[in-house]
Amino acid sequence: MSNFEDWARATYRQAGIEVDDNDLALVELIYAGALGQLEMLDRIDLEEFPARGVDLRHAPKAT
Amino acid sequence: MTHPQDLTLRQQADAIRHGELSAKELLEATLERIGERDASINSTPVVFNELSQVQISQAPAGPLFGVPITVKDMYALPWRAARNGTSYNLIPAGASGPYRSLRDAGVIVVGIANQHELGIGSTGIYSAYGPTHNPWDPSRCAGGSSGGSTAGVAARLVAGSLASDSGGSTRIPASWCGVIGLKLTYGSVPYDGYFGAATTFSAPGVVARDAGDTRMLTAAMLQRPLPQQSGSGLRVGMVREPFWNDVDAETAAVCTRALTLAGWKVSEVKIENLELASAAFLARLIAEAGIPSLEVLASVSAPTRALLLAGMLAPARFVPRADRVRAAVRYSLAAVFETVDFLVWPTTPTTAASVQDPWVTIPSGRVTVDVPNVRQNSLANLTGAPAISIPIGLSGSQMPIGLQVLGPWGSEARLLDAAEHIERVSDRSFVSLVPALAR
Repeated sequence: MSNFEDWARATYRQAGIEVDDNDLALVELIYAGALGQLEMLDRIDLEEFPARGVDLRHAPKAT
Repeated sequence: MTHPQDLTLRQQADAIRHGELSAKELLEATLERIGERDASINSTPVVFNELSQVQISQAPAGPLFGVPITVKDMYALPWRAARNGTSYNLIPAGASGPYRSLRDAGVIVVGIANQHELGIGSTGIYSAYGPTHNPWDPSRCAGGSSGGSTAGVAARLVAGSLASDSGGSTRIPASWCGVIGLKLTYGSVPYDGYFGAATTFSAPGVVARDAGDTRMLTAAMLQRPLPQQSGSGLRVGMVREPFWNDVDAETAAVCTRALTLAGWKVSEVKIENLELASAAFLARLIAEAGIPSLEVLASVSAPTRALLLAGMLAPARFVPRADRVRAAVRYSLAAVFETVDFLVWPTTPTTAASVQDPWVTIPSGRVTVDVPNVRQNSLANLTGAPAISIPIGLSGSQMPIGLQVLGPWGSEARLLDAAEHIERVSDRSFVSLVPALAR
């Protein structure tokens, strides 16, 4: 059993969710794809991306 | 004699107002048509026969008095809980905010529009009601998640539908079914009783066959007039990468032809930090999707279940970074709107995918169609801006293609001007196309 499977099974067990091998195979595929994309966010320079309030109903206020 | 559901929504409202057609006659014709036509597309799996009659007796004499529409399964109705494409009552029965706006305009909710289960998918294949099929070719997907709304309108079962859009869920199926789909500005209507209330992405969507009908329904939703202006002479921006470059060549060519026909001033523009937008959208989407009850989780399809389970594992550390990117992209978009009126690109990378094999080949490779569908559409959801998919003709295989127009916050009226302009310069040839099923 891989580390991913161990970790995933433990996480789901804690949440009371039963998973089978088919579930885990699909989950691993989706998770790997998502993580690859999400890790782009680890590489941003926080100084270039300041934390700012977001009001989705309107255009952002001019700075 | 023309069948009442072959009239536009505004013609239906006018005919009732002038006494040429009664609300009861229109309802009966609508129920009959759903019964005749829906078996092969499964757009409207729940029909309110008796309750529709009751609604007529109680409807106010608003601008849409007596006009039947369908409502996506994401909105609570006074007589029915919202199930979100599952078998479970997920939001208790009640008058949801978007429903109230339409009710007050006098519409009759004749049925529930099918949808992709939990709204998590752009094909409409997975639903407790069964898949929704495309009226142009039932072997193809209607799209999702609001595929029941768009398939029902395209098949002329109803002239309008209340949909929703969390990552293209109104625009994608509108493009695939050849109808108009308008995603409203985030938060522009009350969200109570609507699944979108739990997210920062979702907005109600309006589906109709042409811009005039969409304008009428949207004005009712927003409870304000949407004055019509000329849509000629607009300045539109094209973002080549990835929105034009990574789509099927025929789709791009048809969209380009529509822009030429529109005669708009087209320029290439760049949205700063756009390359991070999809990651920011994904991080927030995962954080907000959550997990439904264990009972619901056990009931959904294997792909939906896997998406939800995978989301549980995603590290939360990405969320604050995603929010910083989201803020930056909103500023970038606002800056672009200082130089152009709208942004334009193909709504979907290909025509409707096959129900049996929802994978498509685009320049970047063979992918499950959800990935590029969401990529083409999620900028509006990430930023809160409104966007519309406009039918602009058919592919060689006789499947609809849609052009997406994304506008500044609150620009719904101008987006409809753009759609109306395309109708005018095309002599309404695109919005008059009818699938064989509905001829």
